[in-house]
Amino acid sequence: MAGTVAKTCLSPLALLTRRLSAPEFITQCCYHKKVVDHYENPRNVGILDKNSKNVGTGLVGAPACGDVMKLQIEVDDHGTIVDARFKTFGCGSAIASSSLATEWVKGKSVDEALTIKNTDIAKELCLPPVKLHCSMLAEDAIKAALADYRRKQQDDQQEAVRASV
Amino acid sequence: MLSYNSLRIVRPFRALLHPNWLMTNRQTLTCSAHCVSNNFPKKDTWQRQNNLKPTGNERKLQYSTYAASSPRNYCTGQFNLNCWNCKQPLDQTPAFFCMTCKAVQPPEENTSLFNIMDCDYKFSMDTHKLQKRYLHLQRSLHPDNFSQKSVQEQEYSESYSALVNKAYHTLLKPLSRGLYMLELKGMVIEEGTDSGADPEFLMELMEINEALDEVKTPEEANKIGQHTKGKLAVLTEEIDAALLKGELQSAKALLAQMKYFANIEEKVKEKLSEFM
Repeated sequence: MAGTVAKTCLSPLALLTRRLSAPEFITQCCYHKKVVDHYENPRNVGILDKNSKNVGTGLVGAPACGDVMKLQIEVDDHGTIVDARFKTFGCGSAIASSSLATEWVKGKSVDEALTIKNTDIAKELCLPPVKLHCSMLAEDAIKAALADYRRKQQDDQQEAVRASV
Repeated sequence: MLSYNSLRIVRPFRALLHPNWLMTNRQTLTCSAHCVSNNFPKKDTWQRQNNLKPTGNERKLQYSTYAASSPRNYCTGQFNLNCWNCKQPLDQTPAFFCMTCKAVQPPEENTSLFNIMDCDYKFSMDTHKLQKRYLHLQRSLHPDNFSQKSVQEQEYSESYSALVNKAYHTLLKPLSRGLYMLELKGMVIEEGTDSGADPEFLMELMEINEALDEVKTPEEANKIGQHTKGKLAVLTEEIDAALLKGELQSAKALLAQMKYFANIEEKVKEKLSEFM
C-alpha cells in the first residue's frame, strides 16, 4: 500500500489527488511541502527577451530523466541581477529547484550568483537523495545563464573597441 | 578428511567476506563461484557434495569458494547447477523447472533478460514473439499455480514470475531495451546535466514542450504526437545501426535524445486524456 502510494506520488498530477486522500503518508514518502508550494505557486515563470544585451539565457537538459530547464537573468549596469525567469519541463523537484533558483539570484551580483550551490537548493527544499540531480540541474542552469551574459558583455566590449578604432 | 576439507572451505570463504572483494569483484565473484563446478571433474563434485554440511534444500554455492581467490578460474562459460529438490543436474540454462522432479527453480543470478525471454541479443525485436514467450512463461510460473505447493516453491515462483515481468517490460520498449543493452556493456547514462548537449536540440525540445503546454484542441496535441512519433522512429533506426556497429558512445547519446522525446510522448498522452 505504502509502496503504491509512493510510486504514484512521483507523478505531479496524481500528487494533488493523493494529497487529499492520504494525508498520513505525506511526510513519509511524498514531495516535501516546500516543493509542493513551488509547484502550485511557482515564482518567476516566464521569459525575458533573449536578444537583449542585458539578458543571459541558460538552457540545460538532464538526459537520465529527460528534464529540460531554461533560466534567464536580467542584469543592470552595475552588475546586479534585477530580474529572473524560468521555464522547466520535468518533475516537481526540478520545477521547485529552478523556481527557488530564480528567487535566490534576484538582487545578487553576477559574482555572488556564481556561489549558489546545488546542495543549498537541495537543503532548502528538503530534496530526497533520488532527486538531488534536480538541484544540480538548477545550479548548472544558473551558471549557464551567467556564462551567456558574460559572453554577450565580452562581445559588446569587443564591438565597442572595434567601433572606436 | 572432513575437517581438512571444511578448513579449505572456511579460509577462502573469509576472503570472500572481505569488503573490498564484495565491492569491486561482485560480478566476477558470482561467476567464479559458479564456474568452479565446471573446473572440477565429476567425481570431485560428488565428493564436494558429500562433504557439504547440510543446509536444508538450498543449492547455494557456499561450498564452491575454494577457487574464488585464484583468478585463473574466472570464466563466463556455461555451468551446471543441481536441482534444490532432487539434486539432479539441471540441463538447461535458464532452468525454470527441473526435468526430473518438475520442481520450480529459483532464478539464477545475473542471467541476461534476453536469455530469459529467449530473444537474440540485438536492438531490433519481434515484440509479438516476445509477448508470446511472456505469456507462455507466466502460464507456468505464475504464483497462482503454486498455491498448493511448498512455501519454498511459492517463493521461487514469485521471484521468477517477477523477473519475467521485469524482462518483458524492459525488452518491450526500445528505450528501456537500448538502455539495458548499454548496461550490459557497463555503460549507464549519468544523472545530472549533459554538458555536451547541443543547444539547438535543447531549444527544439523547449519549443515542442511549450507548444504542447499551449494546445487547445486534441487535434493540435495529436499533431505534436505524430511529430514526436516520427522523431522516435528515426532515433530507433539510428540506435539499431549504432549498436550493430558497436558504437556505444553514439548509441548512448541517441538514447538520451530518445528519453526526451519519450517524455514528450507521455505528456501528449496526458494532454489527450485531459481532453476526454
